[in-house]
Order: sequence, then structure tokens, then C-alpha cells
Amino acid sequence: MNKYPTRSYFNNFGSITILAALILVFSLLSRNFLSLKTFTAIANQIPGLTVMAIGMTFVIIIGGIDLSVGSVMAFSAVGFASALVEWQLPLALAVLLSFCLGIICGSLNGLIISHWKIPSFIVTLAMLEMARGATYLLAQSRTIYIGSEISWINEPVIGGISLAFVLALCLVFAAHLILTETVFGRYVVGIGTNETAMQLSGINSALVRVLVFTGAGGLASVAALLSSSRLEAADPNAGIGLELQVIASVVIGGTSLLGGRGSVIATFVGVLIISTLESGLSQIGTSEPFKRIITGLVIMVAVIMDIHRSHVQSKEVVSTDLKYS
Amino acid sequence: MKVTRLTITVILSAALFAVLLYSGLKPSFGPRNTTPHIALVMKSLANEFFLTMEHEARAHQKSSATEYRLTANGIRNETDVSGQVRIIENMIAQDVDALIVAPADSRALIPVCAQAIQQGIVVINIDNRFNQQTLAAKSLQIPFVGPGNRKGAKMVGSYLADHLEAGDGVAVLEGIPTAHNSQERKAGFIEAFREKALDILTIRSAEWDMEKANIVVAALINEYPDVKGIACANDSMALGAVAALKAAGKLNSVYVVGFDNISAVQEMLKNGQILATADQFGGQIAVNGIEYALEILKTGTHKADQETPVELITKQSIENNNE
Repeated sequence: MNKYPTRSYFNNFGSITILAALILVFSLLSRNFLSLKTFTAIANQIPGLTVMAIGMTFVIIIGGIDLSVGSVMAFSAVGFASALVEWQLPLALAVLLSFCLGIICGSLNGLIISHWKIPSFIVTLAMLEMARGATYLLAQSRTIYIGSEISWINEPVIGGISLAFVLALCLVFAAHLILTETVFGRYVVGIGTNETAMQLSGINSALVRVLVFTGAGGLASVAALLSSSRLEAADPNAGIGLELQVIASVVIGGTSLLGGRGSVIATFVGVLIISTLESGLSQIGTSEPFKRIITGLVIMVAVIMDIHRSHVQSKEVVSTDLKYS
Repeated sequence: MKVTRLTITVILSAALFAVLLYSGLKPSFGPRNTTPHIALVMKSLANEFFLTMEHEARAHQKSSATEYRLTANGIRNETDVSGQVRIIENMIAQDVDALIVAPADSRALIPVCAQAIQQGIVVINIDNRFNQQTLAAKSLQIPFVGPGNRKGAKMVGSYLADHLEAGDGVAVLEGIPTAHNSQERKAGFIEAFREKALDILTIRSAEWDMEKANIVVAALINEYPDVKGIACANDSMALGAVAALKAAGKLNSVYVVGFDNISAVQEMLKNGQILATADQFGGQIAVNGIEYALEILKTGTHKADQETPVELITKQSIENNNE
């Protein structure tokens, strides 16, 4: 990648173009869209989705998928709220417990996938059901009201931007560094590209896989804290269907569903596209059926543009490789 | 290959813009509009009840277009609470003057509404009432315009009870247990059944959903073969219950009642498959909320809660109406 530094911008060209086009279209259609208020509103809406999409990016790069993130998020949120409200535990302990729930779900996913070599689609589908059931059980199917104890996470700190957004942004950069600058990151990409080759060179791919799924579970817990601080409540129905939105963000960002290729920064652009679209469509009052048709079309356009780009890119790489050989 | 992909991209992008334009949008050029901007935030528009609400609100706006502008939004499904929060945040960003909210959750929507009030937006609560303790804890006063859910459910429940004998077994199908209107309707049914000394066999949730109700009722009639009546907290669930009874060949021995009076149950009311339902005039609720908001915007005075009418609908009442 570093061989072509000028291309790093163009790597995200498709998704950035779409983002710019969306902002332009909504600015023309709605008078108040192009305003600081809209952008701070979007910034404060996305931390949860962003954090979950980071975990999903790693999972997809390694060649897997995690359908359980929405349920695991609800489970962690309800665990956190129960600990705080029902069992009257101190805040730090409640946070820790919520983390443990996410990490346990994630590592269970990873262990079962690695040990029995079952497709992650099936294992995480099962986890989606189990975590949701456990959530209803724990919450007795009721929304647990937390109150303003943790709403400070969503209070604006600088220029209307919340602490939650700053935290999400820090996590994006940290994850980007882990993926691009560490040995672990290289293993993740390597396993996604050619797992057999990695195993032959003595790398414990099972361990890497478990760590990646554990990370996705842990990040779902972080998202749970962010979302419960926004609602000041833990909703056992939270995050139903959220996994699809998370996967869409990652894929729009250009991470390949076949594994082996992807970027956390690009995923963040994908999150921005999804949330700008949602915000814009509701600001102009589009009806629900059209909202869904338009969202589907944007996903399709983004992915096709991405395939187009990677097609061109792979041709270039082949030709330069030939030159060097 | 390259050309094909490019062509597809171009075609899809064109389709996208065409759809955007076709969905009824007008560019924002021209002089600034100073009429009040009202945002209606509903629950799932896949539910006919809210779709009617949206249609009547839009019709009301058309008939008084000089008085206010309307932006109407709904969420994907009844449980998408954070989606509803995001819509309200977007409406705050849109600088609307008033928000009419049918909350998907009686508590979790309160923080974002408090934020709207802080920005000087008039907030009116419709359909499903906010939790009064939580409002009081935040020292907020949000006027509620909506039906007496409990009263309506009691009317329907009593009508069902009149068709049964004391000691007969009945079951209640509630909506999403966290929703205030579901709790109220359940309470209304139970009150009516207790008054007639019916035996309440079980209370189950089918989350307002037809298919879930179908599964729940199929299991329920196996478990309690003596059940004589099933009271559903909305009509969609009553439809699911009727389908399950039909499949089990028990349609003639079990009475089903619903709530909402959606168009899909009209025929079933006439042929007796559903015994009764309640009409709370969903469209009128949103319109009342809008009129309330306009009045507050004009006069600046605080308004008290307003209960909208609920009516018992039976085969008899439909026939009387048609005469």
C-alpha cells in the first residue's frame, strides 16, 4: 500500500464522492440542512454505530461476519442498567460488568467458530437469538430507566460535540493504527487473504480470530454505554436489525466481504454516509417506503463504485508487479 | 466489463435522484417561509393506524396550507426507539417550531424531548403517554392529546364478557410490554374481566405483531383448550389470533376482540370472526395535536391534557352506521 502514497486518498474516492453528493443534494432540498446544528446532531448520533462498525471491520477483513452485535449491545446495556439501578452497584462496577457481558459473548462466538470451524454467519446468528433472549429475561421485557447519572457522556464538550463522539473518533484512530501498523493487524489481513498460508508460516489463526470476535463483542458493550447514556434508559428492544446497518457502513466504506481488504477510516466514511442519508431524508420528511428504497440504492451505488475501483486497482498492481519481476 | 459497471453506476445514480425528486420534494430556493413549521413524529408507518394518522395530518395541512408547514416522519418498526430519537434530533436541527410526538417508549424519548423544549420548541405528546414520574423528575410539563386507552379496552373487554359466563377462561394478548398504551389496554381488559368474574388464564405479549400473535395463540389454545375469549391489545394481533384459531378449527368456539378498528378487520367484524374492537380515531389524534400546538404557538399559553374519544365498534354499530 505504501508504495502508492498518492493513492490513499483515491482509495476512498468512491465513498467520499457519495458523501459529498449527499450533502450537496440535501443542502439544495432543505434550507436548514447545511448548518452547524445538523452536523453536530449527526456527530452526536453516530458514536454507537461507529464503535460497532470498527469491530465489524476487523471481523469482515478476517473473512467473517458478526450478526450478533445488535443483540449483544442490548444485552450489555440491560446488564449495565440492572447493575446500576436494580442491584445498586457503583458506576465503575456496572461498566465493568457490561464490558464482561460483551466480551463473553464475543469470545464465545470466536471460540466456537475457531474450534468447530463453523461459518461465523451461523454461530453469530445463534448468538443473536441467545443474547436477545437473555436481554428480555434480564430486563423482564421492560425498559430500565437509568436517569441522568451517565448522561454526561453525551453532554457537548467542544462546539456542541459530545464526549461520546470524541471517544469514538479516538477509537477509530487507534483501530486504524492497530490494523495498519501492528503485527496483529497484518495477521488479520493475512488470514482474510489466505488463511492456509498464514497457518503454514506458524501463525495461530484461531487465536487471532477469537481476539477479533472478542473485540467486536467488547466494542458492542461500548456502544451499549453510549446509547444508554443518550436515552437515559436501557431498552431491551434496542439494536434490533442494527447489525445490518453496521455491515452496510463497513461495506459502503469499501471493506471487502470476501475478506483480506478493508480500512477503519473508510468504514468511518461509510458510517457518515449512512447517517447523513438518514438525517437528510428525515429532515426533508421523505416517507418511510422511499427512505428505504433510497437507502438501498445508495448502498448499491457505493458498493458498485467500490468494485469498479478495486477492479482498476488490481489491474494496476498486476502490471507493476510484472514490471518489477 | 468496466463499461458495464460504470453504466450500472450511472443508471442507479440516476434512479436515486429520480426517486428523491418523485418522493415529493421541492428544492429549497425562493423566499424564506415564515409560517410555523410543525414536525409530526410517529411510530411505525407499517402499522395502518399511524399511516391513517399521517394521511389525515397531511390532508389537514393541505386544507390550511397558509397556516403551517408539516414534516411527517415514522420509524421502521414499533421497537426502533433510538431511530425515533434520531428523527427528533434531526427535527431540532431543522429548527421546527413544534414537535408532535407519538413515543415508541414512554420513558426513553423524554431526554431528547427535554432537549427540544430547551431549544424553545413546543412539544406535544400524542397517542402513547409519557411516563408521568419521569416527566416530574425532570420538572417537565408536556401536554398529552390522546385516547383513554384504558377506557376503550374496558368497553371492549366488557362487551366480550357479556358474551361469556362467569368462570369462563379468557386470555389477554398485550403489545410491547414497555409501551404505556399496551399497559393501559391490558389493565382495561383485566378490569372488565374481573368485574364479570372471568378466569384470566394467561397474559402473553405478541409485540403488536400479527405473525407473533399467530404463533402465540396457536400455542396458547393447545395449552388452554378451554379458553373462550382472547382479548388483543391491537387489531393486527387479533388478525393473527383469528388465523391461528382458523387453523385449529376453533373459530366458532372462541371469541376474539381487538383494538384500533383498522380496515382489515371490517369484514371480520361483519361476519363475526372478530367480536368487537375500539376506534380511537387515530387520524384525529394527530390533527388535534397539531391544532393544540398551533394554539400554543399563537397564544403562548400552556395547555392541559386532552382526552380524545374512543368508541366501541361491533357488528351492530357498523350496521347502524351503514343505515
